[in-house]
Order: sequence, then structure tokens, then C-alpha cells
Amino acid sequence: MSPTPRWRRYLRFIRPNVAADVDDELAFHIAMRVERNVALGMTAEDARREAERRFGDVGMVRHQLVRHDERRQHSEGRREYLMDFLQDLRFGWRALRRAPGFAIAATLTLALGIGANAAIFSVVHAIVLRPLPYREPQRLVSVGTASAGEFLGLRDRLHSFSQIGVWIPQTHPIDLGDETVRVEGTGITTNLLSLLGVAPRLGRDFVAEEGEMGKNTVLLLSDGLWRERFGASPDVIGKRILVEGLPMTIIGVMPGDFHFPSITTRYWLPNAFNPANPGMTWAVNDKHMVGRLAPGVTLERAQREVREIWPTLRHLNPLWDPGAEYRRDVAPTPLQDDVVGTTGRLLWMLFGCVLLVLLVGCVNVANLLLARATSRARELAVRAALGGGRGRLLRQLVTESLLLAVLGASLGVGFAVAVVRWLVATMPPGIPRAAEISVNGTVVAFTAVVAMLTGVLFGIIPALRATRLGQSAATVSIGRRTSHDAHHHRVSGVLVTAEVALAVVLVVAAMLLVRSFAALRSVDIGIDTSHIIAARITPPWERYQDTSRVTQLFGALRERLSALPGVGTVAITDKLPFGQVVWGVAMRVQGQYEDAKHNLPSIGHQLQVTPGYFRTMRIPILRGRGFTETDRGDQLPVAIVSESVARLFWPNGDALGKRIGYPWDSPWLTIVGIVPDTKQDSLRDTSRTSVYTPWEQSTLRYSSENWVVVRTRSDPAPFATAIRRVVRELDRTVAVSDARTMDVVVSESVQKARFTMLLVGAFAVAALLLGAIGIYGVMTYLVSQRTQEMGIRIALGATAGGVIGLVVGRAARLAALGAIVGVVAAFFATRWLGTLLYGVSATDPVTFVAVPLGFIAIAVVASYVPAHRATRIDPVRALKAE
Amino acid sequence: MQPRQESGELLQGTLGILILKALLPGAAHGYAIARWIEDTTDDVLSIEEGSLYPALRRLEDRRWVTTEWGVSENNRRAKFYTLTAAGRKHLRDEAAVWLRYSQAVTRVLRASPAIA
Repeated sequence: MSPTPRWRRYLRFIRPNVAADVDDELAFHIAMRVERNVALGMTAEDARREAERRFGDVGMVRHQLVRHDERRQHSEGRREYLMDFLQDLRFGWRALRRAPGFAIAATLTLALGIGANAAIFSVVHAIVLRPLPYREPQRLVSVGTASAGEFLGLRDRLHSFSQIGVWIPQTHPIDLGDETVRVEGTGITTNLLSLLGVAPRLGRDFVAEEGEMGKNTVLLLSDGLWRERFGASPDVIGKRILVEGLPMTIIGVMPGDFHFPSITTRYWLPNAFNPANPGMTWAVNDKHMVGRLAPGVTLERAQREVREIWPTLRHLNPLWDPGAEYRRDVAPTPLQDDVVGTTGRLLWMLFGCVLLVLLVGCVNVANLLLARATSRARELAVRAALGGGRGRLLRQLVTESLLLAVLGASLGVGFAVAVVRWLVATMPPGIPRAAEISVNGTVVAFTAVVAMLTGVLFGIIPALRATRLGQSAATVSIGRRTSHDAHHHRVSGVLVTAEVALAVVLVVAAMLLVRSFAALRSVDIGIDTSHIIAARITPPWERYQDTSRVTQLFGALRERLSALPGVGTVAITDKLPFGQVVWGVAMRVQGQYEDAKHNLPSIGHQLQVTPGYFRTMRIPILRGRGFTETDRGDQLPVAIVSESVARLFWPNGDALGKRIGYPWDSPWLTIVGIVPDTKQDSLRDTSRTSVYTPWEQSTLRYSSENWVVVRTRSDPAPFATAIRRVVRELDRTVAVSDARTMDVVVSESVQKARFTMLLVGAFAVAALLLGAIGIYGVMTYLVSQRTQEMGIRIALGATAGGVIGLVVGRAARLAALGAIVGVVAAFFATRWLGTLLYGVSATDPVTFVAVPLGFIAIAVVASYVPAHRATRIDPVRALKAE
Repeated sequence: MQPRQESGELLQGTLGILILKALLPGAAHGYAIARWIEDTTDDVLSIEEGSLYPALRRLEDRRWVTTEWGVSENNRRAKFYTLTAAGRKHLRDEAAVWLRYSQAVTRVLRASPAIA
């Protein structure tokens, strides 16, 4: 037998010691056999040898038995635990049913907190956490944007990538038979789909030669476009449709979950590089590069390689030398980060907010449980007296909390489904991967974990308190209030303080966002947006290659629209404020910056507009004149600049008559007018410099971006139909899209800010309500527990005001303490809001004073009702009750 | 104990039946079971006594026997095994099968031409 120390046998007094028992059993057997052998006349030594021989391999048998018994002990332990758990569950259920008010309040609070968490987690999971739906998505990187020349140069020199391609946003008018529609698409290099590891669900992928000029007359449809416009018919393959008036052959349909680069893409065209056109090759930085890392290559190595190669590419540029410092921003980053973009930060912020709401909810439920524990002290004392150990009682109470959490979570998941549906419907456009948001298995699993954690979180302190009460009460006097009261009040005071602190952080954040939004909405954009409707007009390139036809089309359009009743002025512009991404342009300034090879000043916005634009937008001409019908291509090239441009280059106020020019070889433009600065890009736009040129004098007249803006005398919205009708009558192959009033355009530009504000605001209101309910609950409880004390005070002549002051004062003190803690926490937390704020600092003094004061006021109001109740305590009855 | 090769290996499961049979009169510890088998079979089955205990565990797992610590006839702590109702039924069933089987085998072996 193996030499087990004898002391180990005493372990069995603590818990069944499997090994010692096995040793005992076997030792007994051998000893009996030895005794018998001795009785049969053997020597002690022979008797032992004979006994062990008869027994066989003692060590092996022992090992076998110990292993067997241990396994059985474990499974029995598990079964016992499970049985206890089921018993606790049944008991907990009965206890909850006996206190339906408490059960409903707690369950709803938890459902709200957990449900909101599940909803926001669904969004975070779909957008940020879930890998992109491509083959080995973690090997995919975004390299940044480049010109075609830069991309080709980079591609030929890189070794870190097994494949690299580009995508280019491309939106074209498509003739769909009954109408011509401007549809958003994406141009991709022919290797891009295989690079991503995605294949068409129908038809085939692009082949390499379709990436050559003249052969790129094929396209792939998105599943959505295929269903909406082609009735999901498999016969579309091989069909020809007119894109920009050019016949293109449909060669395939992509799967329904393929949204590259974003959900708005409805079709894909093969991109063909045209090295013969150096302007197109080097001047347009719209190629988004995507690569797949070669096997074994790390992201860091790829970044190093791109950093080394990028600066050398400038020598390939035949047009100009961009300089050594030119665009250092090109660097490989995980494709997922690029797709998620800044939305990730926003989502994590929202997730933080919703966690705070849950925490406040937990504190509230903990407080409820605490109050309940005191009223259950008698029951717990009895159970303790009947032999329920503290651990066992603790387990019972925590199981009850878990039961509550699970009930809350189940309700919460249903709540989350509704919230997610609402979120997806009201989300501002441009949220990446929005189509993938759903309450799926991962979300449910997350919710289950959250439920367990919250159950323990809000359950453990009350359970610890309650079991302590149970024991002390059992030994002192059952049911009578003892010194534990003071302790209880301290614990619930801490909880209220915590609750207020958490809520303050949220409300401060919400308030900052509301103030930002208000500041944003009150920004003066320099345009009178009321009574303006704008629509994007896209003539198909095939029919309008000749720019005189474009001029003719828009001339006729202006004429016909002006003739409509109710229409004031009509103008054409190539850029609508807030309508699209606006990019700056470098300009030469005569006498100041003339050499195109040197650093030219950058102008924020450059617009090409027809006469009537300034009148339509109600932008006053400060000096000089607006554009007239005589500012045509054959006349003197002119320009109108915004005040900031004039001030920047001609601080003495003599800008009129001065000349500016494009960086390339082109005639000087004479400044004929000065207008105020306007916001063009967004309400946050800080680049005030704008240069306007006559639409008809533009060297780049043809542009896929052309907007008609119409000032109307009545509500502009109904004029959308009129614009469509007029365009159709002029040429039915011209697409009309994005017809919206200017007010709508402006308000849509702040949709994301509004959405964020609304969500955080809703969370803050929830936290505020929970906080107020918490204070009310604690104060009500406090008054009910101190009835006797109040009675004595009143009997001794305390006035109603004095009693109210006592209760309200305590509530206010707790709230003030919480508010102070919350303000300090908010001071650090609001930094996370970062760029979401506008026109207000992250430590805005108004907010940081108003919110805590507001909370103290809420505490006073919430505690007034219980305080008032305290004044009506009848001292005689209160004293008799004891 | 006899050398192994002189008697056949015990058929699997057979030891279980012997143990159950040994417990039929009442609770007994492992050593008593070993002694009962030894005495009853005149030691011809040559069981390694050590193999008794894993067999007992298997019977316990199937709830044919229960265990309890008690005091032996010479005042020592010992683990006692008791036959359960299920064990009793199993013993009856198995014994019937065994008897039928061994009778059949005996009949075949006795059939002519006789071996010896």
C-alpha cells in the first residue's frame, strides 16, 4: 500500500476523503487476511506476503478505486448542487409571487437596462465586432486613397500583398426602360472580388481583360437591384442595359449579403485605367486601395513597405512634383477599421452610456432588495434558526436575484428586438453595415452573461446584509428593530449616492450634446434655405459628350422652370451646400502666387453657378456684381469670391478687378464681385473661402454633379414633381434624383448629431427617472422605518417644517454628495464625446453647474412626498406601536 | 490461491453474480465476500481478491448494492455492502440465464461422441 500520512485520514471529518476511505477498506481486507493466515500457523511475515499475493496488485486496485470514487463524488456533488438550485429557484419564484409589486418593479427596471444594453450591443456587434463577411477578413487591409498613377506605381513595387485592387465610387444614370434613374455603383478592379473571396450568386466574375479600356462594358448587379428592377429573374444574364447611355452587358448578380464598399452600392463596373490621359491618371485621388496581405506578412511590415515606397512615387508624376511631404497619410490599416470608420467610436460611447443606465437600474433594484431584506428579516431568522447556514441562505438569496435578472433579461431581449428595429429604421444614412444589425445568438448569449453579472451585482450586497440580519435578529429579538437600522441606512445612502453619481455623468453628457446640437442648428450658413428646392440632374454621358448640348439642356430647363407658376428664380450649380463632399482647390493669385510649381494657397470651396444663383440662395452681393447671362464662354473669364478670400489676399479692400487662376495652364479669372462667406460642407464647416465661376465659362463644364436650385413662392416640396416632369419632357434619358427642399438638406446633414443626441438623451432621461425613483424609494422607506423617532420628535414639539426639513435635508445631502462624485467623473468621461461636441466645451461650466443643482432639486422633490407623510404621523399611535 | 493457468479466466460479469449471491444472506464487507466465495467454491475459481473491489464499485454504480461504513465483528471500521431489491432481482434473472446456459453447455459436452 502506498504510504499515505495518517493525518490525512482526519480530513474526512471535514469532507469525505475518498483516498483515505479506499485505503481503509483495502487495509482492512489485508489485515483480516493476515490475521487468518497467522491463525492458520504462518509467521507474521509469511502471512503478510501470502495476503498480498492473494490480493493481487494493491497499488493498481487502489488507484482504480480512488479514481472511480472521486468521479462519483463529483457527479453526486453536482447533482446535489443542482437539486439545491432547483429548490432555491422554486422558493424564489414563490417569494416573488408573494411580493408582486416588488417583482414587477424590479423586473421592469432590469428589462429596461438589460434590453437597452442588448440593443446597443446588437449594433456594436454587427458593425464593430463581427468580422467582415469576406474570406480571411483579418488579412484584408485598406491602403488609403490614391490617383491611378500612384496606385499602379505602388502595385508594381509592393511585395507585402498577395493581391491589391481599388474601388471607386461611381454613380451613373441607368435607363431602366420606363425611367432613367441615377443609381449608385462602384467601379472595381477586376481582381477585387477574388481578392475579397466573394463570387457572384448568379453568372460570373469579371475577367482580367474586362479591365481594359473599351472592354469594360459589363456590370454586376447587386441582389437588391436585381430583385427590385429585374424581378429576380435568372434571365438577366447577358441582357444589355444603358448606363450613361452606353450599352452594358449584365454578367452576374452578387449575393444578398454582399455590400461592398457600402450598402448603398447597387452595381459594380470593371475599372479601366487610361494611362493615355495623364490628367485622369494623376490628378484624381479617388482610388480607394484594398489589399490582401501575402501569407506570413504582418500589417506592420506592410505599413513599413508602403511608407518606404510611397515618397518615391512622386517622381513618376509627369504633371507636377507634389513635394516630399505630399500626403503621408497613405498607410495600410485593417479593412474593418476603414469600413467602420468613426462610427465605432460613437457606438462605444453609446455602449458606455447604456451601461451606466444598467448600473443605475442595478443600484435601484439593490435598494429595493435591501428594503425587502429588512422586512424579510423574520423569515430569514426563522430559516437560520432551523439550521440554514449563512452560505446556504446567501445562495438562496442570490438565486432569487438571478431569477429576477433572468426574468428581466427575457423581457429585455423582447424589448431589444423592438428597439433594434426602431434603431435601424431611424439611423442616419451612412452607418456602415447597418443591414447586418440583428438580435442574433451572440447578442442573446451576451444578454445572458449580462443578466448573470447584474444578478450577482445587485444581489450580493443585499444578500450579505440580509443574512447578517437574519443571524443577528435570530439571536436578539425576532422582528424587533435593532441597531442594524443605522447600518441599513448607511448602505442605502451609499447606493443612492452612487446612483445619483452615475446619472449625473449621463445627464451631463446628454446636456452637452443637446447644447452642441442647439449651437449647430443656430449656425448662420449664409443662405436663406426656406422656399428652396434642389434636385440633382444627371444627363447620360453618351448623349451629352458635346458640352453645348449640356448648356442647351440646362438652359431649356431653367427657362421652363422659371415659367412655372409659383417659381421665383432658378439656377444651376455644380455643388449643393451639404449635398456632397466638397473638396478644396489650389488657386494662383496674380502678383502673389503665380508659380504653379510652388505651394499655392488652398481655397475651401469652388463652385460653378449660373446667373440667378445668388438671388435664389439669397446671398447678397456685397460689392461688384453677380453673374449675368453675358458671362459666357466667349467672354472675359470672371469670378466672384467670398469675403474671406478678398480679405486674405487683398486686405486693403481692393479685390475687385484682381485676377486669380486655376493651377493648370488656363486664363486668369477677373474678380467681378464679392459675396459673404457661406457654409458649404456642413454646419461645422470652418473653411470660409469660396470662389464662384460662371457655369457656362467652366472648362470642366461637363460634370456628373449638377443641381438645379429653385426658389418658390409657396411650400417648395411639391415642386419636386414639377421638376421631374419638366426634365422628362426635355429628355427622358436624363435622371432626376435627390429632389429635396434645402431645409431638409440642412436638417439631414445633422442627422447623425440628432440621432446621437436623442439616444444619449433617452438614456439620460431613463437614468434620471431611475435616480428619482431611487431617492423616493429610499426616503419612503426611511420614513416608514423611523416612524417612532418621528413620533417622538413631533410629541416633543417638532414642527411640520422641521420634520420635512429632516427628511428632505437628508435626501438633498445624499444627492449633493452623489452630484459631486458624478461631476468629477463626468469631468473625465465627457472627453470621450470629443468631436461630437460643437460650440461648447467638454467642461462647459453651465452644464457642470446646472446638472448637479438640478439633481439636488429632483432629490428635494422626490423626498417631499415621504417627508410630508412623516408630518402626519400620530405620535401616540407611533409610540404605542412599539 | 491457485495458480492462474489451472482454472479458466472468470467470464466477465460472473464475478458480479458471485458477489450478489454472497450478499444474499445479508450485509458483508469485502473480505467476508472473498472468504464466502473461497469457501463455497473450494477456492477453485481463484479470484484475485483485489478484483473484487472494482467489481463492487460497478455493482454500486448500477444500484444493485449500497454501501455503509460500519464496525466489523472484531471491532474495526469496515465498509459493508448490502444487496438492494434491484440487485436481488438482477441476481435472480442472471442466475436463471446462467443456469440455462451452463446446462446447455454441459449437455453439448456430454453428447456423443464423448470426449472421454
